[in-house]
Amino acid sequence: MNMRQSLTAVIERNTTLTGEFTTEPYEAAWAGEARWFVRVLDAAGRRPRLVARTQISPDGLHWCDLDETDQSISPADGPVHSWPATGFGGWLRLRGTVVDEAADPAPDESARLKVLIYLALKA
Amino acid sequence: MTTTPHVDPRLLDPKLAKFNPLRRILVHDDFNDGTHGWVELIGNHDEHGDLDTVDEHMSDFRPPQLSSCSFFDVGTHGAMSGTYALKVATRPVAGHTGVAIRRLTMSGRGRVQFETYLAYKAEAASAENGAATAAGGGRWDANNHPSEQQFGAFTVATDICDGVRYHTVARYLNTDLDHQVRHQWVYPTVPEPTPREHFEGKVKLPRTADFTAPNPEDWKPFGEPQEMCFNEVPTKVNWHYLRWVIDTSTRKNVELQLNDVVHDMSDVPVPPYDEHYGSLQNLLNFYVSVRTHTDVRNFLYLDSVLISVDW
Repeated sequence: MNMRQSLTAVIERNTTLTGEFTTEPYEAAWAGEARWFVRVLDAAGRRPRLVARTQISPDGLHWCDLDETDQSISPADGPVHSWPATGFGGWLRLRGTVVDEAADPAPDESARLKVLIYLALKA
Repeated sequence: MTTTPHVDPRLLDPKLAKFNPLRRILVHDDFNDGTHGWVELIGNHDEHGDLDTVDEHMSDFRPPQLSSCSFFDVGTHGAMSGTYALKVATRPVAGHTGVAIRRLTMSGRGRVQFETYLAYKAEAASAENGAATAAGGGRWDANNHPSEQQFGAFTVATDICDGVRYHTVARYLNTDLDHQVRHQWVYPTVPEPTPREHFEGKVKLPRTADFTAPNPEDWKPFGEPQEMCFNEVPTKVNWHYLRWVIDTSTRKNVELQLNDVVHDMSDVPVPPYDEHYGSLQNLLNFYVSVRTHTDVRNFLYLDSVLISVDW
């Protein structure tokens, strides 16, 4: 039996995300399957939420959205969130924003999420 | 016309024939079929798995990638053998280091040889990454590309413990911290700061500290400067042969070969730790690292690796 190759990469570890961000480029041309996992370790703000999209690239330099799907990650929905990416070509990253859905947050309560972001790849 | 077969039948295998192994091959890593145990190095965490307890300067060495060496101008360059190489990448942050490690133990003592075919690159410029105007860059003259001066250093090293813990280290310093070309092999005169030393309050290093030896004054040259084949632009990959020999029976360096130059390392000191470390008997780790001196991603590519011993 020819076993399928697999690789889980920790793209962000114990990272506090605020505002807009992109993750580092990751090469995945060898993989036929990809799945993101976001594990929320901590959160601050009234109703913090992470909105993210999978982005793809032909060269690791120039990027576009994989599709029009926004992933919504709210700590209130549990600590682990996941979604697949298909038809992605050679490179993957996340582009996201941490928002606070409470109206008029106080200036010292800017929303932030401390996360682990995994990319699980399989041939 | 007759030819004489090679005396070592292992070298009839094209995958092995490009290496010069010692008597026993421990490891042959061809990255066309996985990462073969090369994994991101990370500092130690506490009994709760609390990542806040990981030393900050050892918390973000980046996951290695199985790279098809693809670029904006030519698409997939591919590796020396097959499509994929192991890529270690930094963030685009001056002082950031990417590190991949291979963890073994020793069943004997003697000569240990690490061989690889490698290439190194700084990231090509884009509007988003701003590499064309980042520190270390300059004007293109149609031969030398400013990208070459945006590559800092790559390192091959070990972490060994036979009761005494020590590291053997060789670094190719492409440019210094002021982005001036050095093309110089260097070694550290001090042992690497460890998580236990931080735990004991002896050392606390910032995020982008040079974890192998944080003080630039603690790095000394060995051998003559050596020019590599960066090949002008950041999107052409030429593979370099590296062969590095140490001796675990004497805890010493032996020699480092890069292509056609052999650097005698027998006088390059190996600073041991003064203190005893538990849980590490017969430790034999190899790591490769890449360190950027500017806000441009630096990459180290390994086509394949072969580790052999004479025990």
